[in-house]
Amino acid sequence: MTARAMIEAWLMLVGLSASTTALTFIEMSGRSRMIIAAGVLVLAGLKARIILNRYLQLRNSRFWTRAFDLAIGGFLLLSFGLYASATGP
Amino acid sequence: MSGTLRKQPSDPQARDGWGVLGELPGDLMMWVLIISELLVFGAALIAFLAVRASDPQGFAADQLLLDRTEGAVNTIVLVTSGLCAALAVVARENGRRQTARGWLFAAGVFGVVFLIVKAGEYWSKAAAGIGIETSPFFTFYYLITGFHAAHVVAGIVILALVAWADSIRNMETGVAFWHMVDLVWVLLFPIIYLLR
Repeated sequence: MTARAMIEAWLMLVGLSASTTALTFIEMSGRSRMIIAAGVLVLAGLKARIILNRYLQLRNSRFWTRAFDLAIGGFLLLSFGLYASATGP
Repeated sequence: MSGTLRKQPSDPQARDGWGVLGELPGDLMMWVLIISELLVFGAALIAFLAVRASDPQGFAADQLLLDRTEGAVNTIVLVTSGLCAALAVVARENGRRQTARGWLFAAGVFGVVFLIVKAGEYWSKAAAGIGIETSPFFTFYYLITGFHAAHVVAGIVILALVAWADSIRNMETGVAFWHMVDLVWVLLFPIIYLLR
């Protein structure tokens, strides 16, 4: 990996973190709140993917990239399901 | 310290017959640790959300007492620390040992900044009379974020160790632990601080 690739990964992480913070300052209720919650979790998944693939260098292995995508995607889906089941309109 | 890689089962070059395990970069035992830590934190966060389902109003009221801005600042601090650690490995692989140590030092300093912000957060909660037994939300909050902070402390110690024993293999392994700490935070932060 090159320094440039690491800095690109960092810029993406900072951008995604700023987007997450911006999303959570939007006051919403009902279905819009669900959409924001889903957005926050999707952004978390994207950040996790960047750390795994770039910093932990998993992107050279298709098998492990998919395995971690599935595991973290499943975790975030379950998290959203639990959140949505307990969040009223 | 020598940067020469020794042939060991945890070395990817020595894992030709290991199937997909041979595709994991770096030290195999570090991956066992990373996956087990992800499972532990994942289970704790799922438990947090499951308990939240029994009292969503109570959890929402307690969550309003957290400072999202401090959490967001700490996210930037930790990902920047991760960048410094990654740049240390790049420098070491290019034979620039002192530069690598400098980047590791910077990563450790950002780790300390993370802990200072976290300590400030705990201090303000304590000053408001909020403790681990105040409510189920704060029990989870202190246990999960405290456990993560303990990993940050361990990570700083590991970064110091690999700056001293600075073979490429040691540095890659120590920095992988630091990235795991970073990875856990980007999953923990939105669930505990942001989902309302």
